[in-house]
Amino acid sequence: MLVGAFACAHTPQLLARPGTEDRDLVLRVHAAFARVKRRLEALRVDALAIVAGDHVEAFFLDAVPALAVYVGSECAGTFGRYRYRFPIHEPLARSIVEQGVERGFDLFYTQQAPLDYAFYVPLHFTMPEPAVPIVPLHVNVYLPPQPTPRRCYEWGRALGEILRARPERVAFMASGGMSHFPGTDRYASPEFEYDRRLLDALKDGRGRELAAVTGEELDKMGNIELRTWATLLGALGDAKADVYCYEPSWHHGNAVVEWVP
Amino acid sequence: MGSVNDQPHYRFPPASAYRLNRCLFALKSDDGFRARFLKDARAAMGELGLDAADAAALLRGDRDALLARGAHPYLVFMADLRLRMEREPVSFEFF
Repeated sequence: MLVGAFACAHTPQLLARPGTEDRDLVLRVHAAFARVKRRLEALRVDALAIVAGDHVEAFFLDAVPALAVYVGSECAGTFGRYRYRFPIHEPLARSIVEQGVERGFDLFYTQQAPLDYAFYVPLHFTMPEPAVPIVPLHVNVYLPPQPTPRRCYEWGRALGEILRARPERVAFMASGGMSHFPGTDRYASPEFEYDRRLLDALKDGRGRELAAVTGEELDKMGNIELRTWATLLGALGDAKADVYCYEPSWHHGNAVVEWVP
Repeated sequence: MGSVNDQPHYRFPPASAYRLNRCLFALKSDDGFRARFLKDARAAMGELGLDAADAAALLRGDRDALLARGAHPYLVFMADLRLRMEREPVSFEFF
């Protein structure tokens, strides 16, 4: 069953803070992460399905999956000094890939690919105690052509049905967003107003509007990673967002959000 | 500088830039390759078969030239960050 839903920023400066970053802002986002952790504990989750966009870490140009599922017994990765490893909930992962394919999604799966920091940052801060196994789900956000927001939303709708039919208590988390433009001349000028308007729509339960946004618009608004949110929203329908925080830094709109599925 | 206004920020990486992107990917994610690059950049770039123009742009750290040659902006960004962290260790607060 699907018992909880969250979206969390994964800005690496929240994990390793250089002097360029406002410490109070970072700590406010940490406080929102801590709320997510407490919620996951209160929800007594058995597993955490987390959808993120690999940052060209597991999937380079040798093979570029649009949608992928990690189905190994565990997954691991590194980010700077951080070394991390998580058990995968194998029965859940396998049912996602098998039932996803049955529902018409031609999924890529992996039993070995490295796990990007986009997965790790939210897990570092929000993993409940005791820890639970995860199912990492990748959606291509950085290597065009990416799946359309509508396709992500439809995949999320299928995921919602698959998760609701499972015996485990599963929380579903989207990692990423909001506006940022790494590696471009827009790095220091994200589209914070776009983020705020979108959060207002999500508070009203209008998540399906994200399915109608074009990939071109996401690129223009520094929000290519919102494909992970579109995936999550597909599973949630018209649920209303509870925005724990929206903290715009000089380069990144950091949001932490909960929905009751 | 950088992207022209009507161009997407993140574009399809052309096949002509595969080796350049492969090198940036290695600088970002392969500690061994990054160490070899810092010791002898030309030899490291030679391992991956970079042509002279790609190598020159990379040695200059010329982001606009790299992007014009088809480099992926995120890879340019993270490769540069990881190299700078090695060359002049930045102090971080780790959480």
